[in-house]
Amino acid sequence: MAHSMLNTLRKLNHWVAILVGILLLLCAAFVLADIVLRQVGASFGGTDEISGYVMAIATSWGMGFALLELGHVRIDLLRSRVGARGRALFDLLSMLVLSVTITLIAVRCWPVLERSLTNSSRANTPLETPLALVQAPWMAGWIWFAAMAWLTFIAALMLVAQKDYAASEAAIGTFGEEEAAL
Amino acid sequence: MITSVSVGLLALLSLSIPVGIVLFLLGFGIDTFFSPFPLIKGLGNLVWSTSNNATLIAIPFFVLLGEILVRSGIATRTYAALDRWVSWLPGGLVHANVATATMFSATSGSSVATAATVATVAMPQAEKLGYDPKLFSGAIAAGGTLGILIPPSINLIVYGFLTQTSIPRLFLAGLVPGLALALGFMVITAIICTIRPSLGGVRRVFPFPEMLRALGQLLPIFLLFTIIIGTIYKGWATPTEAAAVGVAGAIAIAAAFGGVSIKMFGEAILGTVKITSMIMLVVIGASFLNFTLASAGLGRELQDFLGSLGLSPLMTILVVVCIYIVLGFFIETLSLMVVTIPIIVPLVVEQGFDPIWFGILMIVLIEMALITPPVGLNLYVVQGARKSGRMSEVMLGAIPYALAMLAMAGLLIAFPQIALFLPDALQQ
Repeated sequence: MAHSMLNTLRKLNHWVAILVGILLLLCAAFVLADIVLRQVGASFGGTDEISGYVMAIATSWGMGFALLELGHVRIDLLRSRVGARGRALFDLLSMLVLSVTITLIAVRCWPVLERSLTNSSRANTPLETPLALVQAPWMAGWIWFAAMAWLTFIAALMLVAQKDYAASEAAIGTFGEEEAAL
Repeated sequence: MITSVSVGLLALLSLSIPVGIVLFLLGFGIDTFFSPFPLIKGLGNLVWSTSNNATLIAIPFFVLLGEILVRSGIATRTYAALDRWVSWLPGGLVHANVATATMFSATSGSSVATAATVATVAMPQAEKLGYDPKLFSGAIAAGGTLGILIPPSINLIVYGFLTQTSIPRLFLAGLVPGLALALGFMVITAIICTIRPSLGGVRRVFPFPEMLRALGQLLPIFLLFTIIIGTIYKGWATPTEAAAVGVAGAIAIAAAFGGVSIKMFGEAILGTVKITSMIMLVVIGASFLNFTLASAGLGRELQDFLGSLGLSPLMTILVVVCIYIVLGFFIETLSLMVVTIPIIVPLVVEQGFDPIWFGILMIVLIEMALITPPVGLNLYVVQGARKSGRMSEVMLGAIPYALAMLAMAGLLIAFPQIALFLPDALQQ
């Protein structure tokens, strides 16, 4: 049950990440086209603004994938010194704290979107983008991240309850050292 | 407030809670205990305004650029070409490690990616030619750290974003210290291998025509660096836009060398999304912490704090350097940078130091953190790539290079112009 749940989450987020990557590539192509156009005196205009929206949406939707790939950095100085059960407790604690925090962020995104909806706010730019149009998918990304966090936490809790520490470590442990970025 | 935040930071980090989340928790704590008005109301807006940012999209672009270059096999060719040019020096191939790492630093914004790339190509050579593994692997770990100092650098983008300093200026400021450090690494290698030839390996001299032919292999990387940096300073593109140009360049180079496939592209994309999300969670968290600290009156408290200590500016900097060295033993690069910026940078700027200069000093110190045990990511990356031998060998081998970085930090403090000369000269 827990295993199939984690597998489904991983598959889903794999595809989400591919879509996010394609979005980023399209944005790069768009920026590039604009640079070339500027050299001949034309321009789409608003590449900065669009890059910003792409970044906000890509960031919120990519978070869940990074979570399932153990991408979010943790300092495991103490954690690495205890046994398998101790590590599982550290992991569960940090998943719980993460899930609560992300839920809070997702909830706090709503006032931002709500204001844009009630005022029909438009960006203060030449494009006059209706803000709700870009803030809705942005907020949906944070809700998605919160949902992924809670589901992963529940799956890992089941694994730990079954004393399957190896599997819980694979699901919510720390990244392999060589995997970390920067 | 400063004490509570510092203690809370270390306590929460040691619980192995993800770094980005720790920063949010500290922000919530300041809101609850130190702020006269509720700051949490601003959380949604802050998350939106931090991530809706055209400057930061340079991060996924530079990550993607690096991922494509790493996966396209271009590193192997570069390494072979540089081997032709530098292996006559005492220390032989060790210099090729440093030189390859330097070249990759100039196109990749990440240190671990650089170290991993060079380690994968270089390690088989070390065994084949009978090199002492200590200095050989230490040079890769150290050379790889240049990735965050020589532009483009993801860490400098994050620094510029969080401290509101100019990213093009930061890039220019990192160039000279970065190249000087690379040169320093090679000088140290040559000195060590002259005194103890057994630590190096065979010195090989290649015929000149072969050297010239090898130059052709280096051309794509040179070209890419020139395009990225050139478009920024010609004013054709912002650093962000230059990153998009770089991605296109990397795809073109990979295609020219036959390294493009759907599978490789998919892997590069997935790696990019994962790394970008990881970076953005800590950046957004740091941004929130920054906001709460500033709103709760950090500036005033810092002034009082400094006044009570009565430290001279120089003493302050030396204390800061010591803090980074100690923290660097335990916390890795980006986290170290992001968790300290909200507290340390205002403190240093308050004392009248240039934030651009301090950014470069901080990066040098953080580079050192990458190769100092027990938590030195590059050491693990290199060890991971060599698959045999003891971890302690890599650690020992990295020591001379860590000392070179310390010397560089000292030089930067004594002569700030090393960093500031180039941006001042090029951008009046």
